[in-house]
Amino acid sequence: MTDATIGAGGIEARTELAETGWKRLAMHILVFVIIVGVWELAGVFNQLNDLLLPAPSVIIGKFAEMWLPTFLGGTGRIYYHFFITLWEAVAGFFIGVSIGVSLAVTAAVSPMFRRYLAPYAVAFNVTPGIAVAPLIIAWFGFGLSSKIALATLVCFFAPFINTLTGLLHVDEEASELFRSMRANRQQYFWKLQLPSSMPLFIAGLKLALTGALLGAIVAEFFSASAGVGILMQRFSFKLDIGSALATLLSMSLMGLLFFTVMEILDYRVIFWKRDSRMQAVSKKRKAAWKM
Amino acid sequence: MSTATEAESGALPGLAPASKGDHAWIVAKHFALFFFLVLLWELGARAGWIDPLMFPAPWGIVKQIGFIYFIQGNVWHHLYITFAEALSGLFVGSLIGIGLATAAALSLRFREYIKPYIIVIEATPRIAVGPIFIAWLGFGFSSKVALAALVCFFGPFVNTLTGLLNIDAEAEELFRSMRATKWQTFWGLRVPNSATILMAGMKLGCASAFGGALVAEFISANEGMGVLMSRYTYVLNMNGAFATLLSITLFAFLLFKFADAVDYYIVFWRSDKLMQRKSKKRQAAFLKSLG
Amino acid sequence: MAAVAQAESSTKLNTIASGDVVIRANNLTKAFSETVIALENASFTVDKGEFVSLVGPSGCGKSTLLRLIAGLIPKTSGSLQVHGVEVDEPRADTAMMFQRAILLEWRTSVENVLLPSELIGKVTNEDKRRAMDLLDLVGLKDFEFTFPRQLSGGMQQRVALARLLQTGADLLLLDEPFGALDEFTRERMNLELLRIVAQFEATTVFVTHNITEAIFLADKVCVMTPRPGRLAKMIDVPFKRPREISLEVTPEFNELVAEVREVLGGDH
Repeated sequence: MTDATIGAGGIEARTELAETGWKRLAMHILVFVIIVGVWELAGVFNQLNDLLLPAPSVIIGKFAEMWLPTFLGGTGRIYYHFFITLWEAVAGFFIGVSIGVSLAVTAAVSPMFRRYLAPYAVAFNVTPGIAVAPLIIAWFGFGLSSKIALATLVCFFAPFINTLTGLLHVDEEASELFRSMRANRQQYFWKLQLPSSMPLFIAGLKLALTGALLGAIVAEFFSASAGVGILMQRFSFKLDIGSALATLLSMSLMGLLFFTVMEILDYRVIFWKRDSRMQAVSKKRKAAWKM
Repeated sequence: MSTATEAESGALPGLAPASKGDHAWIVAKHFALFFFLVLLWELGARAGWIDPLMFPAPWGIVKQIGFIYFIQGNVWHHLYITFAEALSGLFVGSLIGIGLATAAALSLRFREYIKPYIIVIEATPRIAVGPIFIAWLGFGFSSKVALAALVCFFGPFVNTLTGLLNIDAEAEELFRSMRATKWQTFWGLRVPNSATILMAGMKLGCASAFGGALVAEFISANEGMGVLMSRYTYVLNMNGAFATLLSITLFAFLLFKFADAVDYYIVFWRSDKLMQRKSKKRQAAFLKSLG
Repeated sequence: MAAVAQAESSTKLNTIASGDVVIRANNLTKAFSETVIALENASFTVDKGEFVSLVGPSGCGKSTLLRLIAGLIPKTSGSLQVHGVEVDEPRADTAMMFQRAILLEWRTSVENVLLPSELIGKVTNEDKRRAMDLLDLVGLKDFEFTFPRQLSGGMQQRVALARLLQTGADLLLLDEPFGALDEFTRERMNLELLRIVAQFEATTVFVTHNITEAIFLADKVCVMTPRPGRLAKMIDVPFKRPREISLEVTPEFNELVAEVREVLGGDH
């Protein structure tokens, strides 16, 4: 959910809340505290079925236990699993993006390839890639490679279709301008096609990273000895919901980490869509101007 | 969200639509390529180049398809189950998504308050909640629907919100100048405006819902395509696994086409033919009302 | 301004060597299909330093003719020569400007102006100085390092104008460049354009659907009619330069306007 959807001419005449800065933060904290507070109270008054939905304090306790290293009183058990899953997702991401982008560039350059690829691409798009999970496990075994393979499979489509669209849908008049200035193929690609496809490309990357994480976790459900996915599976089956939710929280952290990385990438690469960034880059370029 | 609009057209970008005569020829070429690939596969399997464990021969798959569909007949039941789970999940997820989006569109305060939670939910790999849902809701139908709904609600949510908020500034001014009430603006302007983008969101949700249902089945279930897939793979009946996978692909595709058709009819103002028909209908109704 | 002055003299050298007629068209025809004839049998000449307007309603082929001259589309029949050479592809001595500024969003103003220099070869310090001077010339000093999104429509078109002049091309082709601007900005830009064109002694072909603009700017007005696109009449505009806006309310000016309208008949 971007700022565009939040602030753009809401039904209420104001698009921004009257409170800003610290007051806003305090508001959010207050809401959070109320929600957690009510939940905790329910636990205190034994309204919660401990098996199904433990109180926040239990969850936080489990979370702390997992994350705190032994010398601080915890078990620190999450770190190993966290990094295994992280590795699987990132590896799958890089491989998937490479495949997706290569296919996209090929398809952008060759209309024939594109035409023949089209039906398979459509079929691929509508199939939930996750469905292949059991097959992947059968093929790649129980080790890390099956997780990376599923992550790759799930995540390569978004960068493919986005990069392809970005490369193909270049502003027609800009193309004409380049032609009128007698630009050759390479100049056209580097100076126009590539920069103009950046927004879509980055969007594709974001989707890919999310997908890769999903693929890795689902593959872990099936067969893994390590990873947050299998942790989740085990806790749930033991009906240790508190730990399961704590694991979920850890996964959220991983997701937020990825989200942040992507946002930073977006912020830096696609500077021409944001006023603040444009001003900053403007200054930089002026300072670097030598003639 | 960009992949929503690409998936809409059901084809790759940059492909010019062909004339009717050309169309048949192109389809023929596609089939030719497809049969060629399949033939290559069959020969490879028979010659022993391809490991029967990884890629069973096509003919074996075809026989298996014939078997499970027409002789054994079990698959119809499993298909129905998964389909029902996915559709229910899509329905519930869309309802939640649309409901939340509407509330968020109507109240700036609400929108602000839920923003951090939405960001966290979006970043979390929601499919990971699968084992927890199974623990809560059991092995049956409801856990699958729940996971499908959780996985797919985001598309409709973001899209509805964008559609409701991002209306043409001048159109909104027009309504205000005619002293329309908040509700009149909502139903007369915002809702129709968001129809297109909402449909795109729901189509996105199709694949996700299917994926969610399947993963829930993978984790643990007694019936459904996911279960079939797991079982076949477990006993290394690759023919069966592929047959199941193909079935899933086919039916996911059909579901997508169905959503496409619904989209086509609801957002009628994108098609000339439909507009003409609606025009006539409304003309007839109007004249009738005049008596 | 030294860089600009240098370029001016090299421009002069180019055109003196080629002779007086810059564009020569003979029975030039462009058909997109059996039934869609965008331009039929156009014949005319454009001399060095002349400012020619192509005016007419939509479908009269004026944009098509401009693109033929630019070498962006191939002709169907007839002959079209620029500097004595048959046109078949975009030429180095020609520069074009469009209705939209078409600036690259990710480049600053000066980087956009430098684009043609980049495409030709390595960008020299002289090119850079010229770009800065051109931006000053079009009134955008202090905006050299801003991005297109931070500029108004009129300012963007001025950057596009500077880009047009960067290579020192002596044949300028402009396709309704000020059509999207408001009346006041358009008037200002027209005066700027005349001033710059006079300074660079460039030959200019200017497409517009605005009759007043066409007459005000030009030495010769080509009136074009649609279906099929034809060059109906060439009208000389004898007014002295530099021209002022007040010219537009004089009776002589309005006689020419009437003449153009007559040619266009009931079609406008």
